[in-house]
Amino acid sequence: MVEVKIDPTTRIEGHHGMELEVEDGQIAEARSTMKMFRGAEIITVGRSPRDAAQLTGKVCGVCFICHRIGSSRATEDAAINAGAFDGIPEHAKILRDAVEGIFFLWNHAIHLFALVGPDYSDAVADTGFERLDPLEGDGYQGALENQRKLMQALAEFGGRAPHPLAFVPGGVATNPDVSTVQTVKSRVREVSNWLGPTEAVPDVLANVQNGEFDPQLGEGLHDVVSILVAAAREGAADLGSGPNRYYSNGLFREPESDERIFKRGVYRDGSVELMTKDEIVAAISEDTEYSYYTDESGGKPTEAQPPEPDPNKEGAYSWGKAPRFDGETMEVGPLARLTISGYDPFNLRADLGGGSDESNTLNRLIARAQEALIVRDRVLDLLDAFDPSEPLMADFPDDYTGKGVGLWEPSRGTLSHYVDVKDGEIERYQIITPTLWNIGPRDGEDNPSIIEGAIVGDEVADIENPINVMRTIRSFDPCLACSVHVDSPEGSYETELKPASPGGMTDVGDD
Amino acid sequence: MAIRSSDNGQTRRNFLKLAGTMSAGAVVSRHTGEIAQALQQATDGPVEVAWLQGQSCSGCTISLLQGQYPTLEETLSEFRMELTFHPTLMAEHGEAAIESMSKSPDILVLEGSVPTDIPSAATVAEKPVYDWVTELAPEAEYVIGVGNCAAFGGWPAAENKNRLHDVGKNVTGAKGLQFEQRSQPGVLGPDFEAGSGLPVVNLGGCPPHPDYILLTIATVLNGHIPELDRYNRPKPFYEPLVHDNCKWRGYFDRGEFADKPGEEGCLYQVGCAGPYTHCDDQTRLWNDGTSVCLNVGAPCIGCMEPGFWDRFQPLDKSVERQNIFGVDVETAGLAAVGAGVVGIGAHAARKVTGYGKSEQDGNGGQSEDADAESTASDAGQQSDAETGDDKPV
Repeated sequence: MVEVKIDPTTRIEGHHGMELEVEDGQIAEARSTMKMFRGAEIITVGRSPRDAAQLTGKVCGVCFICHRIGSSRATEDAAINAGAFDGIPEHAKILRDAVEGIFFLWNHAIHLFALVGPDYSDAVADTGFERLDPLEGDGYQGALENQRKLMQALAEFGGRAPHPLAFVPGGVATNPDVSTVQTVKSRVREVSNWLGPTEAVPDVLANVQNGEFDPQLGEGLHDVVSILVAAAREGAADLGSGPNRYYSNGLFREPESDERIFKRGVYRDGSVELMTKDEIVAAISEDTEYSYYTDESGGKPTEAQPPEPDPNKEGAYSWGKAPRFDGETMEVGPLARLTISGYDPFNLRADLGGGSDESNTLNRLIARAQEALIVRDRVLDLLDAFDPSEPLMADFPDDYTGKGVGLWEPSRGTLSHYVDVKDGEIERYQIITPTLWNIGPRDGEDNPSIIEGAIVGDEVADIENPINVMRTIRSFDPCLACSVHVDSPEGSYETELKPASPGGMTDVGDD
Repeated sequence: MAIRSSDNGQTRRNFLKLAGTMSAGAVVSRHTGEIAQALQQATDGPVEVAWLQGQSCSGCTISLLQGQYPTLEETLSEFRMELTFHPTLMAEHGEAAIESMSKSPDILVLEGSVPTDIPSAATVAEKPVYDWVTELAPEAEYVIGVGNCAAFGGWPAAENKNRLHDVGKNVTGAKGLQFEQRSQPGVLGPDFEAGSGLPVVNLGGCPPHPDYILLTIATVLNGHIPELDRYNRPKPFYEPLVHDNCKWRGYFDRGEFADKPGEEGCLYQVGCAGPYTHCDDQTRLWNDGTSVCLNVGAPCIGCMEPGFWDRFQPLDKSVERQNIFGVDVETAGLAAVGAGVVGIGAHAARKVTGYGKSEQDGNGGQSEDADAESTASDAGQQSDAETGDDKPV
């Protein structure tokens, strides 16, 4: 038995380490350690609900829009439940979806090209694939250039990126006109052209497999497909197998409708279960057995107080909590969304990844690439549907008492914000982030998190350079900043499925 | 690193100074080649940078990636900056990553605050960031606090208002490198000087503009001592007042106020901190000249200023209802009389005459109460924030 510690696990967002026990060249046990705590939820308590979006929006400078929207939806929900608010204008909803879509494109580009892509580059892995050599490869630099255009598009609405201030309770505090929307569209189209036409995927796949490069079919597409092919060749389909359990909050509502392109629900035991918001909220709990928080921290996020740090807690190893869905771990992110929604464009996961619904390191990459193509079209549709002359802000009340939950679905997976407001002041706040679902710690029943389970059983050829472990970690696109500040339940975790329907939490229009 | 003596026959441009006189990215776009040349001449080898993250959200790194004149790629290749450690961008991981980190960097950059009460709340390779910083900073030629958290503690240092749990006012004891909010000391103490003799150069902002980071680096490596304000921020970036250059300033002067964010009109009554916030983003603009917070109708939240969370909150309320004075409206209002401003009420008038004033009193080491009193009593006077005492602390 050899103990291996990887710290820092770089090219992810935030402070993270991985502790492995390797036996006969195989990983026997893994511990995913989140290494930062700030106390965002504690700090949010006692403030104005409006300030929650400003403060929690800044828990992450990578996912800088989703928390603002998630928090806004939570406080809006609370105000609606209090009878003090009627919901945000229709075109504010369209705009929130559109910017989240642009953010997806940005994030997927950064992740595929700058964070996970280099794992399959010549510089890191002697693959002969030089275009993604960090900071120097032509493909890497092309992605850096294109991500700037997407950030410029976001800044047209938000004022700046990262950390735009325009996304607040009540709608979107921005004043675009027709030319703003045109500018945004042309930025997105430029990036779209770099990416290349969706229908070219089979040809590009053939090109890459034959070592050819045809920029007419999209430079970006060639690079993305090159990552996938290199990953397939490196055996990523046999790495990082998850339990094939997925959860998504859903996203990209059809205008004037409750239908979403990405469905809301879970996939477990081989089938999809679409769910309502109340059903989802009732299923979620958090565990702190192995977290640096007191045992009193945690439980139902609709009831528990923000986590109380206990940095010297015996047996604890992570600043993250362990969220569970009906007591089980759930994988979240692009693969979860596409599986729940039934999408596998060009059967890439079926053909290359061992099955459309199979959770493994390769399929996480494929799903992210597939999703970028789907979302690219969706963003342009949403921008077409968006009318900048329509109202974007509703009057948001100052003084109300109510409980609310904001479900949102950012690029990395499900996000939920929970708030109790009393007389216009926040009494309680909770956030559960995508990365907590994927790479949090064990729970009180010693069930490993998704990532901890995914790594066990994988081979480690070289304990000095466990590159396949890093590939699996990065396939989740972990983002630690926003994950470590969440609290949860009692030391003794019970899989209690009683659907507590907290304080009249009704669906909010599109919620 | 050895900075060569200046007798190399080259004019050493003070890019930072230029930045104060030119608009949006013009300095760097106009002087890119010159900056590159200067940097190469200024050093014997590549400029080694170690970029550490404390309690950070990585937003400053993402901001850095948005720099356009020049881009980060150009910075690294043409300017021969060698990023020996950057957790988000580097190729290596684990031990190899730590080994590649320069232990006596030319430039030590910190992004994120440093938890002093719970050191384990931010670690790299199982070592608290506090230890990394206190070990590396004395070995560095320059230390730069990038972003409000590294400079002043940022939001991790914001108040635990309800005193939840047993963790005190500052949940993790989060501090900046030489400041905790508006007071010294931070982690390194008030007397800290890097090898160059400069204190920590603070680039406030949540996040700071990417130009601020690059131009500051270019300037110090070129042998110039940047002129710093009382919070050790380079003056060319942090001297202009947001309010003075605001797109809505005419509306303010006419008393035309927006009822909610995003509407046409001055955003003063919905919480704009522009009259108290210093940066040149109104003219520099973000994301390659695209826009800035106020231009789209989002009130300034004061993110360039130390202690901005608690000073300006609630962020959606006009400043006299914010915490900025620490005194009630009536008391503060007494000082606000006789301003010859057309079309606005007494509170707004006080704000006009007093704007920038809070900076005057934000003397490192003074309590916020002292600050508040003097602000209130001075509010009616003709004031200039940048008087003689506005020097590095």
